[in-house]
Amino acid sequence: MNRNLSRALAALALSAAVALPALAGAYPLQVARNVMIYMALAVTWDMLLRSGQISFGIAGLFGLGAYAAVLGVLRAGMPAWLSIPFAALFSGLVALLIGFFILRLRAMYFSIVTLALAEIFRIVIHNLHDFTGGPEGVVLQGVIAGGDAGKLYWLALAGLAAALAASWWFENSRIHFALTAIRNNETSAKSSGVDIFRWLLVAFVVTSSIQGLLGGIYAHSFGFATPESVFDANFTLLPLAMALLGGIHSTVGPVLGAVLLGLAAEWLKLKLPYGHLVVYGVIIIVVILFMPQGLLGMARKAARPAERRTA
Amino acid sequence: MTKLSTEGLTRRFLGLVAVNDVSFSMAEGEILGIIGPNGAGKTTFINLVSGIVMPSAGRIEYKGKDITYAPAHERARMGIARTYQLIHPLENLTLIENVMVGSIFARGNGLKEARRKAEALCAELGLSGLDRDTTRLTILEIKKMEIARALANEPEVLFLDEVMAGLNADETKDLIATIKKVAQERRLAVGVVEHVMGVIRELTHRVIVLEAGELIAEGPYEEVSRNKRVVEAYLGGAAIHA
Repeated sequence: MNRNLSRALAALALSAAVALPALAGAYPLQVARNVMIYMALAVTWDMLLRSGQISFGIAGLFGLGAYAAVLGVLRAGMPAWLSIPFAALFSGLVALLIGFFILRLRAMYFSIVTLALAEIFRIVIHNLHDFTGGPEGVVLQGVIAGGDAGKLYWLALAGLAAALAASWWFENSRIHFALTAIRNNETSAKSSGVDIFRWLLVAFVVTSSIQGLLGGIYAHSFGFATPESVFDANFTLLPLAMALLGGIHSTVGPVLGAVLLGLAAEWLKLKLPYGHLVVYGVIIIVVILFMPQGLLGMARKAARPAERRTA
Repeated sequence: MTKLSTEGLTRRFLGLVAVNDVSFSMAEGEILGIIGPNGAGKTTFINLVSGIVMPSAGRIEYKGKDITYAPAHERARMGIARTYQLIHPLENLTLIENVMVGSIFARGNGLKEARRKAEALCAELGLSGLDRDTTRLTILEIKKMEIARALANEPEVLFLDEVMAGLNADETKDLIATIKKVAQERRLAVGVVEHVMGVIRELTHRVIVLEAGELIAEGPYEEVSRNKRVVEAYLGGAAIHA
């Protein structure tokens, strides 16, 4: 029953996502694009969280991807379509390098270092004037696909699809067992043959690559990148709030949270500019205090007694 | 045939010598008791041979190979498995999934193969209701699951760190029989840490006695239990001289 229901919902969401460009105008499509990028980031944040590691560095790898894509075109003469996978590769390589050092850290030490690294990336880009354009950033001569709203929508959807596919793979392969074992008890995971460092590195590199990919897609959608726009703390804060609200340790939770918060944010932006950031903060606090399992966890709890009654 | 041996194995924690110059060996098919008063270094000793703690000095050999500094997950793959005194179920995995982990990572089995093997292992140990959360298991079931998890590595050497703790007399009897059976069928070398001497007498072929990190006696239980130093270690010198 449950499986059929979730399949039906997935099919419904997919048809809605595919039909949207035919039905909606440019503004709703742009909102949808934003929501999809944040949703994808929320899913990748959750993927690493399944190992127990809380990253505050999403904006850093997202911003690096954005710059890799734009500079790839501008400085290396790459075609725009190629610069997007290049962004994924670049963020993935950076993650591989820093992962060797920081994945030996745990808990708040890991979180703080990821936060600091994101800030370091921003400052480095900010100060490499000649190469990155410094604080003014870099502007492309034209937006990808001529700025066509429909095509940009498909591009963002492709980025989201990559995140969802990776998350599904994480949930349905040995990676699921590795990450869950590591999160639950590292000592006992080791005794079952789990090479903890290796699996953490896999999770960190995969999620960082996708964050870089999304950064590339984002930068190309606007045709420019500045340190303030692509390293914005919102790219860390919003995905986190979305995943927490929807429910962590799954694909569905962050997706659900992103739909709710993404749409609420658009509405709030119109009602009270910048007020939406306060709302995010409040949501994070309320969720952590009163519903640590998120909406999904509450739904599961509510469903359980019902199952027993029918049994 | 010797499976596992140590030579001069030592571990210091700052000023404390938890395990001091211990040399021992375990043979295929042998069930070895590891006993000693609280704080004698039994758990540290298991942590050392299973790779959870690295030695300060000495040498560990497994099937003729030096594994003194091999990481824990590699030892698990080579065939050294263990349970923990403080039980560590993976609470976000079900009973069967807990057992699958060792099969997947220590043996490199695919998920389907791992599930099939885990099911067979659970059946062998008398575990049912395999899709339950680990929070819904009885103590005996958790202990059996811990043993099943260790056996999923398909080990040749197995250490059991106080698996009987918290069980009543009937459950203890049940578990002793289970351990004897699985050990015999697999020709396992088993190291058993236990405080209940009845269990040690029933289960083991031979015991080693640790006191303050040192190996002070070795031999069949009946013999060791009459050893003057061992009695002193457990009861204190006064008991002898009184």
